[in-house]
Amino acid sequence: MMAEKKIEHGRNSLVWMENITKKFGTITALQDINFGIEKGEVRALLGDNGAGKSTLIKILMGVHTPSSGQIYFEGKPVQINSPKEAREIGIEAVYQDLALVNLMSISRNFFLGREMEKKIGPIPFLDLRNMEEICRNSLHDIGIEIRSASERVGSLSGGERQSIAIGRGVYFGAKVLILDEPTSALSVAETRKVLSYIENARSRNLAVIFITHNVHHVYMVADSYTVIRQGCCVGTYFKGELSEDDIADLITGDREC
Amino acid sequence: MRASGSWKTKFRHIFSESTVAGPLAVLFGIFVLLSIFVPKFFSFRSITGIINASTLTGAIAIGMTMLMISGEFDLSVGALMAVGGYLFGGLAMAGQPLLGLLLALVVTALLGVINGVILVSTGIPSFIVTLGTKYLYRGLLWVITAGTMLQTVDRLPIYNILNGRLEFLNQFFKQANFRNSLIWLMVLVILFQIILSRTRFGNHVFAVGGNAGAALGQGVNVRKVKILCFAISGLMAGISGILLFSQYYTVRVASGDGMDLYAIAAAVVGGTLITGGAGSIWGALIGALIISMLRSGVVLMNISFIPADNFEAIVGVTIILAAIFNNYLRNRN
Repeated sequence: MMAEKKIEHGRNSLVWMENITKKFGTITALQDINFGIEKGEVRALLGDNGAGKSTLIKILMGVHTPSSGQIYFEGKPVQINSPKEAREIGIEAVYQDLALVNLMSISRNFFLGREMEKKIGPIPFLDLRNMEEICRNSLHDIGIEIRSASERVGSLSGGERQSIAIGRGVYFGAKVLILDEPTSALSVAETRKVLSYIENARSRNLAVIFITHNVHHVYMVADSYTVIRQGCCVGTYFKGELSEDDIADLITGDREC
Repeated sequence: MRASGSWKTKFRHIFSESTVAGPLAVLFGIFVLLSIFVPKFFSFRSITGIINASTLTGAIAIGMTMLMISGEFDLSVGALMAVGGYLFGGLAMAGQPLLGLLLALVVTALLGVINGVILVSTGIPSFIVTLGTKYLYRGLLWVITAGTMLQTVDRLPIYNILNGRLEFLNQFFKQANFRNSLIWLMVLVILFQIILSRTRFGNHVFAVGGNAGAALGQGVNVRKVKILCFAISGLMAGISGILLFSQYYTVRVASGDGMDLYAIAAAVVGGTLITGGAGSIWGALIGALIISMLRSGVVLMNISFIPADNFEAIVGVTIILAAIFNNYLRNRN
């Protein structure tokens, strides 16, 4: 029997979700979950379908509010009532299809909701040229090369789109990046690139949470992983503590913690 | 990026970069064809007639386009056009044209806001909401006016300013009938095209129509954007009603009937996506011109086996073809 060391987080962590319970009518999606993450930590959130991973993330993102429990951010208790508030605190979600508007250009997407303006007389207009330049430069800083910032996002590959959303989060000073299945439907080469951007974010001291089914990807980039099963947090472990099979067992419940 | 190469590459580049190139090409193409094959088409009288016929639709299409880009529809614009016409005409005839102008604009904008509020608070698709308000607004108009038509013989100067003959241009072209509404329309087209493509609000309109979830996630106030677009749609319908009364000195409760689908057709022919997220005001204007040109052309052609009544069918076919063509262009890149 391996000795497993569970990581302890608490109110002094970057993010600490304490005793979070979420009910939808009579269904309990989450039951007394405790979840925490530190700066510069890359955490994989594992669990089977319907286990509650998405619900937990949505609470952090402001899409849902917990039925009971409290969230602490940088040591202070916070209420996150909308995605906008989550963003203001510094929590950015990078969902593959929900982060970008495919019909719009890269720079318009980059600055969506935070557009740069220049005034001509009393009237503010979009500062398109500046937006394009800053967009291209800041993506370059993260290691993402784009051909032209006025190219439509829809013409990029899945991995490129992910990278733009990640780059946007990093540029605007996100403290926590949340990714949902960031590498599903990507080629091997693209997966490697996306994982490298996650590394880059980590090196800038961002906390990264990514939901995944792919235990192998956990091994490639995560420092630690949290397993959720049927609305309960099974535990948070350092990478390497458990084998891939053990993790799978934890997810399905064939193994108790 | 592609290195500048052959003419074919450059040509293709223009088509993929510009959203207006396609509709413009269609407009040009049909114009040339009709000029060659249809007698009397290529005359100033005919051409200015086409332009005039498209200004009323063009005005409504401006608002409809912006709304469609945000992902919604407004079927009540025809009724709002009549409301605008009655408010302006009625008060002008009672000696208060400026008040009439103001009320026509404010009331139609507010009725548009009501459309938007119903949409965001109930979640019912805009198609259905405005289908309902279309009959509601027109029904209320029936009741309030008791079905009375407005008609005036007074030629107040304001009518001339709004939609009188544009003699300044007319003097250069024999038998031309340019009207002032053309100027107002161009001002509005330029204004709203700038708003759409060069302002923060415009960026939000595209985002809301393209991916409302993404827009919401980035902090855009989706509800506010949609309500504003409905207000603009109502306002444009009101403007159209004002221009209508200024030109014909008359308005009936049934005025504007059918304008809703006509405006949607103009927007689609001009390259606006039914599903939202893409389009241009210039495109809508071009679309209105194309449809107006086809109408006129078919009537002038006097085809024996196609009575003039059936020109709607030909217009319908062209709308579908133009939409397919625009789609094809868009998907090429």
